Amino acid sequence: MVLTCPVATGRWTANDGGPGRTRRALLRTGALLAVGGTAAPLTGCDLFDGDEPPPPDPLEPLAAEARELAARHRAAIAADPGLADRLTPIADAHAAHADEIHRLIGRPAPSGSPGPQPTAGDRAGLLAGLREAEQRGRQAAAKACAEAPGERAALLGSVTAARATHVEALK
Amino acid sequence: MTRRQAPTDAGQAFADALAAEYAAIFAYGPIGVRLTGAARRDARSAEAAHRARRDALVLQLTTGGGQVPADKAGYALPYPVTDRAAALRLAIEVEERTAAYWRAALPVTTGADRTRALNALTDCAVRAARWRRAAGVDPVTVAFPGRPD
Repeated sequence: MVLTCPVATGRWTANDGGPGRTRRALLRTGALLAVGGTAAPLTGCDLFDGDEPPPPDPLEPLAAEARELAARHRAAIAADPGLADRLTPIADAHAAHADEIHRLIGRPAPSGSPGPQPTAGDRAGLLAGLREAEQRGRQAAAKACAEAPGERAALLGSVTAARATHVEALK
Repeated sequence: MTRRQAPTDAGQAFADALAAEYAAIFAYGPIGVRLTGAARRDARSAEAAHRARRDALVLQLTTGGGQVPADKAGYALPYPVTDRAAALRLAIEVEERTAAYWRAALPVTTGADRTRALNALTDCAVRAARWRRAAGVDPVTVAFPGRPD
């Protein structure tokens, strides 16, 4: 914020005529301004306050987890295409959960996909890894459901129950 | 088990859930008759789970001083359960519908009551998935268990 305020620094350079002093004086001024924080000369920066991002929604991590779970299932399908019939509906469900959670939050999902997902091992290993991830996801969703305001609880309940059924479907 | 209006408080939500549990317990009678082996055992354990929920709800509503709906002598089934396929289809439906009542309790409950409703919703959804698998329904899962269509 301090450095985006030409009002304050501009005044100092204009008043400071002596060559050789300018740079040091400016540095000192910068340091003082930094210490002073939002002192009076900085009021011009209010102009930029609208750019501050809104505080993160408590459901952001759950939405991110849903996108990650979808990516994880798709990565497993890529590693073992024979699992496609079984895993595609689950991947789609996670993507639908992410969309619905973002609708609740009132903001679209951030662009970009979750990073590469673990796909090591044979089919049994893949399924075991997915079951574990779903189990963790179920616990996270149940916690979010318990802590959510009423108007969010029904969707989070469905997400929790869906993840529990995924564990079952992966057995 | 026709859908009624969304409950506005926990007492109403649990009374609705209790009515759904009564109907589920009733339905598992004719369902079990048409099943054999592992499926019949699953029907028995599902029925026992619904009885446990019923008992807990009756106790909770009674001690809470709320209205406790009475069980009926019989419930109209959506179709006759004449064979295994119909039994499995009805079992799926019973779990899906009961799940919807428990889900409806989530917005109007907090704390331990909400956790109870969430556990019941989850159990119904998992049983529905197992019945779908037994019936050969694909996929065995739905994206939003308990959500009205």
